[in-house]
Amino acid sequence: MTAGSWLCLLAPLGGTILILLCGTRIPRVAAAWIAATSVFVAFGGAIWAFLGVRSTTGHVGELTTAWTWLQSGNFHAGLQLLVDPLSTVMMLIVSGVGGLIVLYSIGYMDGDDEERRYFAYIAFFVFSMLLLVEGGNLLMLLAGWGLVGLSSYLLIGFWHDRPSAVRAAKKAFVMNAFGDATMALAFFILIAHTSSLSFATDFNVHLSSTATNLIALGLLGGAAAKSAQIPLQTWLPDAMEGPTPVSALIHAATMVTAGVYLIARTHPIFEQARTVELIAAGTGALTLLVAGLVALVQTDIKRVIAYSTMSQIGYMFLGAGVGAYSAGMFHLVTHAFFKALLFMTAGLAIHALAGEQDIRKMRGLGRVMPFTKWCFLAGALALVGVPPFSGFFSKDSIVASAAALGTWYGWIFWVCGIAGALLTGLYTFRLWFLVFGAGSAAGKAGDARPGTGSPTAIPGGEPSPFVREHYHRHGRFEGPLTMLVPVGVLAVLATVGGWLQWAPKWHPFTNWLAPAAQTLAAAEPTSTQEYYTSAATVIAGLAGIGLAWAIYSERKLAIPAAPFWRRLLEHKFYFDELYDALFYRPGVSIANGLRREFEEPVVLQTSADIGEVTMETGSLVRRIQTGLLRTYVLFLAGGAAAVVLAFLIAK
Amino acid sequence: MAGPDVAWYVATAAVLFGIGALGVLIRRNTLVVLLSLELMLNAGNLALIALSRHWHNGAGQIFALAVMAVAASEVCVGLGLVVALNRRNLSLDVDTLSELKG
Repeated sequence: MTAGSWLCLLAPLGGTILILLCGTRIPRVAAAWIAATSVFVAFGGAIWAFLGVRSTTGHVGELTTAWTWLQSGNFHAGLQLLVDPLSTVMMLIVSGVGGLIVLYSIGYMDGDDEERRYFAYIAFFVFSMLLLVEGGNLLMLLAGWGLVGLSSYLLIGFWHDRPSAVRAAKKAFVMNAFGDATMALAFFILIAHTSSLSFATDFNVHLSSTATNLIALGLLGGAAAKSAQIPLQTWLPDAMEGPTPVSALIHAATMVTAGVYLIARTHPIFEQARTVELIAAGTGALTLLVAGLVALVQTDIKRVIAYSTMSQIGYMFLGAGVGAYSAGMFHLVTHAFFKALLFMTAGLAIHALAGEQDIRKMRGLGRVMPFTKWCFLAGALALVGVPPFSGFFSKDSIVASAAALGTWYGWIFWVCGIAGALLTGLYTFRLWFLVFGAGSAAGKAGDARPGTGSPTAIPGGEPSPFVREHYHRHGRFEGPLTMLVPVGVLAVLATVGGWLQWAPKWHPFTNWLAPAAQTLAAAEPTSTQEYYTSAATVIAGLAGIGLAWAIYSERKLAIPAAPFWRRLLEHKFYFDELYDALFYRPGVSIANGLRREFEEPVVLQTSADIGEVTMETGSLVRRIQTGLLRTYVLFLAGGAAAVVLAFLIAK
Repeated sequence: MAGPDVAWYVATAAVLFGIGALGVLIRRNTLVVLLSLELMLNAGNLALIALSRHWHNGAGQIFALAVMAVAASEVCVGLGLVVALNRRNLSLDVDTLSELKG
């Protein structure tokens, strides 16, 4: 079991190092396959570890220490790996879905000039994420946390000659740095009180409520930054500047879910600071609504899916925040399947249209790319939560747990969850109908209906002129095999992955996670609550799908004009403008002021002055070098006389 | 021993040394500078011999022989320099030979 976890952790690191060492000596595709193989080996290690934990009694897991890394007084921190039910779930998801995505990137990034760098970075990301989830103490978790932030920066800004990508990478990194800072502060408080960052000590200690609340707030800050929850969410849509597989892996399946993992892992601390935990749930509820609303007006296919990710992580935060950790984690698992699937099918479309991402130009793509269409539909239905697809099983447990709380805020969360399901149906199927839809019967007749107010005036399932001109197949298929196979696998997983657990009757997943993250009794829904919540969410989701069908496919309904709301949503609730005014502008003006007042006159001038003084002294001393023999002999004679005199006087 | 006191010899040697030093510092002709150098060396030799005789220690006379050898080789080098200068039609004035001026 521990050998499996070490193999899982070190295989991608080995892949990165191998690619770095080989450099340009190996062909680009070899570097790609090295990365893919290393992640699949990691998956093998994860399965081994999983089976190992399963075979122990009580499924408690094991902590291994390689060596003590940091030692200062009473404080020890070792290179420790923890293999327990929670970490094995994450390991399987990261290496499994990650392996499929790296395989997909082989086809997607084929032909790029800097392909080797991409695969080195992606293998490094997988290693960092595994370090995060396998970390046996909070310090290792923090190390993994920082490294995934770094990998994310490197990969978002992969196409570094695009200024928008570079800006997006900086934005992501700076916002995550804020979260890292709050987490570090939380850890400092922990060390100050307990002199330890190990799970065993920190989770069993009882500090004053101020300290516990501060620690929990710091952890929440880090989780919110990493998982793009309000108020630290603005970096995620911009992160779509990276290649699509990166968006699938980092910003859908794994890194952004690290916040949820953190809450589940450190749940003893959060349970002692129940208010902060509920703030986390509230943040999740708020984000799921805001993100759902903003997704309604996006025109870039990846941004719609990005906001969808933000919204679904809101659900996970809601679940973890109320105390239903296994529900939140189960949604994390199914979300990894269907969100990666959605991103990858979007990538198939983008790849086939040579880089175009605007959905207004992609109309009618379903006619020419049927495989992509059906896989996207599977992902979309899973996302909305239609049974028997996977999202249904996981999302409803979360919303039902909110109802189980019984308090006033519990019911608010419940309503948010239902409303979110409606929004999810609406924006997802808006995307589906606009890009892949078959069009209505009336639309197929080809008449344009004026006054409909929808973005594409010409209805019908016919491929748009853009698609007809730019679409190119890849031989017989819609894309290279390395891209189609992972999409197919994920489509199957998105369909059947949810059958792992149906909360009212059969819950092996919750049982598996119980030793590591036991669901709070307050958040355990009864069967009745589960049933009516499921009914409500499914009805809401289907209503959303129906609305989208009416507006975007059949053109029966027009989108209401409401210019104020449209502007508000298009500007993403003005968060970017707010942060620009609050932080960026003052920061830039302070930096410019410091440069003008301090750096140029003082620092630069000092080094210039030192140089000048040296030169002047030098030219003074230079006068001794007259070049005349007689001067030198004079000095010689004078010096000798002085020495003799000194001797005589000394005697 | 017959003859003047050792002080006379040492004083003569000192005077000769002084004249030689002045010659090195003041004269501009390279050959005269070399000549004055020789004068200084020989003054030193004189002092060595005189004091060796005064203290009945042979070491001074042996050292004087060594000094003579050194003087001879130095003269070779110095005169070689002068000849080289002359061959290149350069002036023998030490004040004009100041290309190493900083």
